[in-house]
Amino acid sequence: MNLQEVFYGAEDLISPGLSACPGCAGELTMRTVMKIMGKNTILGVPPGCMAGAGVVGWNRLSGAKVPITIPLLDNTASMLAGIRRYYQSQGRNDVRVVAFAGDGATADAGFQALSGAAERGENIIYICYDNEGYMNTGFQRSGTSSKGSNTSTTPVGAMRKGKAQHKKDLPLLLAMHNAAYVATVSPAYVQDFVRKIEKAKEVTCGLAYIHVLSPCPTGWWFDPKDTIKLARLAVQTNFFPLYEYEDGRFYQTVSVKQAKPVQEFVSRLGKFKHLDQEAIADLQQWTDRRANLLQRLCAESPA
Amino acid sequence: MPVVKALTGNESAAHGAALARPDLIAAYPITPQSSVVENLAQMLADGKLSCEMVEVESEHSAMSVIQGAALAGARTFTATSAQGLALMYEPYFRMSTLRLPMVMAVAGREMTSPETIWGGQQDTVSLREAGWIQFYVEDNQEILDTVIQGYKVAEHQGVLLPVNVCYDGFFLSHLTEGVEIPDQEQVDSFLPQYRPQHVILDPQRPMAVDPMTPGNLLMKYRRNHLEAMQTALRVIDEIDADFYRVFGRRYGGTIEEYRLEGADAVLVTIGSMTGAAREVVDLLRDQGKKVGLVKVRVLRPFPLKRIVRALRSAKAIGVVDRSVSFGWNSGALFQEVLAALGSQGMVMPAVSFIGGLGGADISNDHMLKALTTVLEVSANQAAEQETVWLD
Repeated sequence: MNLQEVFYGAEDLISPGLSACPGCAGELTMRTVMKIMGKNTILGVPPGCMAGAGVVGWNRLSGAKVPITIPLLDNTASMLAGIRRYYQSQGRNDVRVVAFAGDGATADAGFQALSGAAERGENIIYICYDNEGYMNTGFQRSGTSSKGSNTSTTPVGAMRKGKAQHKKDLPLLLAMHNAAYVATVSPAYVQDFVRKIEKAKEVTCGLAYIHVLSPCPTGWWFDPKDTIKLARLAVQTNFFPLYEYEDGRFYQTVSVKQAKPVQEFVSRLGKFKHLDQEAIADLQQWTDRRANLLQRLCAESPA
Repeated sequence: MPVVKALTGNESAAHGAALARPDLIAAYPITPQSSVVENLAQMLADGKLSCEMVEVESEHSAMSVIQGAALAGARTFTATSAQGLALMYEPYFRMSTLRLPMVMAVAGREMTSPETIWGGQQDTVSLREAGWIQFYVEDNQEILDTVIQGYKVAEHQGVLLPVNVCYDGFFLSHLTEGVEIPDQEQVDSFLPQYRPQHVILDPQRPMAVDPMTPGNLLMKYRRNHLEAMQTALRVIDEIDADFYRVFGRRYGGTIEEYRLEGADAVLVTIGSMTGAAREVVDLLRDQGKKVGLVKVRVLRPFPLKRIVRALRSAKAIGVVDRSVSFGWNSGALFQEVLAALGSQGMVMPAVSFIGGLGGADISNDHMLKALTTVLEVSANQAAEQETVWLD
């Protein structure tokens, strides 16, 4: 794939001047996704960082050049399913309906609606930018916050050391719903990213789910210039493996030959700085176990 | 030719919805509503109805799917009861404040707890401040007709608000009556296709729907919403009259006055209990007693002027609620009728009656007790009364 061909002349459909934080991977992902989706798209962005940054608009101004709305925190998938169903019934199948939702609106409050939409095979494209918490409102814990995260609702003190549970695995859950297409993507692996977004765009039957790990300098506490570096480290440590699922089969799309220790990723993030060796070993074990499971799932599929 | 069939209240709602040719239906089952959507699903399976049907995983999603479809320009329908309505509350409130027209049938049910599945109006009465138009109907024919009227009211360019057609769970939802089903052509001529003018999610007309809105602008939206509610009072009366010209049936618009000529004692009712009240009014009129009845058909918007006019000559009134207003020792309708009278400087003895909660009957005996009480009060102009429980 020639990325120049993909992006040459592609219009930025998101307004300039969004007030996202410096180094925000979410905004970068959203702009890139929308360049690929194009103008014939209806965008739903529930409450979260991107809505807070102004993409749905402010006052009487829009933050996007496509029709856009802000679903409730907990109904993005069902609301967008309604839009898509109506366009299908009118024979306007070319109108794409895309969700760009944070992990809180996806894994927690919005999970029931997403689960129902996936089970029914609603033909929407659902993109979750996972920054591992409610970052827009000051980093409260979410179902996808990593174990040990120092969040404002799981703070570190003498008695407690951050979030006590591991991360909920959304892409695997969506695969188990038999979604038409599921993929994990990283802003550090652009070829892989673009190929998967283009694939999701072509799904005409059933739900396409894309999960992007979205490093957050403000909440994770790292230098904004390191966003892409950290996104890459998450993949290279197997903390966030890149794979896709379709027709009942899993494929690892970026293979990591010699995975780096998770510590290399964890030690760069302020939210983990209190972790002792035991806690880091726990994260390593969780990472290994998941990588292992994924390997076994992929082993059933051709390379 | 219109045909008369034996239909339950839920079947009547389903027929009304089907005749309105919705683009999309989304619903989740709940007692006593379920057979509304089961009937529509069967019509769809039999090829007698053509629309999108979304069998969602919750009422919250039912309302959300509908909201999305309505924003894309669809005419939509759903039905629910009690806990389902409560689960919908979040997108429910948003439907009216986005000014999206639709019709939702509600087979009214008491709110849990204590655990119950039976009839009551607490579910919808509790939501009377959520910006929807609320009809409360008396029988199955009125259910079917009001669903059709409801779309015309909801989609009126001066109104643009969602409509609840509320009917008492089990008392009507599961009661079989003879109901005239109008011709599709008649309904089509009465109810033209919906074309959204004010808001749309469509790449051909890109716009941001619901960007962050500051208070000064939000207040303008609220004010417009309140004004649309007031416009709806007139529109509901007009559409009821239009409906009569096409179908030969009418319901008085926002209220119905029954035998008010020279009535000293007037009972105010809402919903299916009105049938029993009519019989008791007839009975007492036969005995020469000066009694009458006002049926409140629309609780939101509140038909203040018409209610005040209807009660102007009464010497005492009684209001029968099938729900309670916690914090007032009475029902909500009672408080609203008093507020309406008070706003026009009218003071008269008034008695609050509460009955029929959780599926309990409101019998002719109850209505006789109520009306007799009001008659006594009208005769001796007694001072303030405690709420009378019809139990």
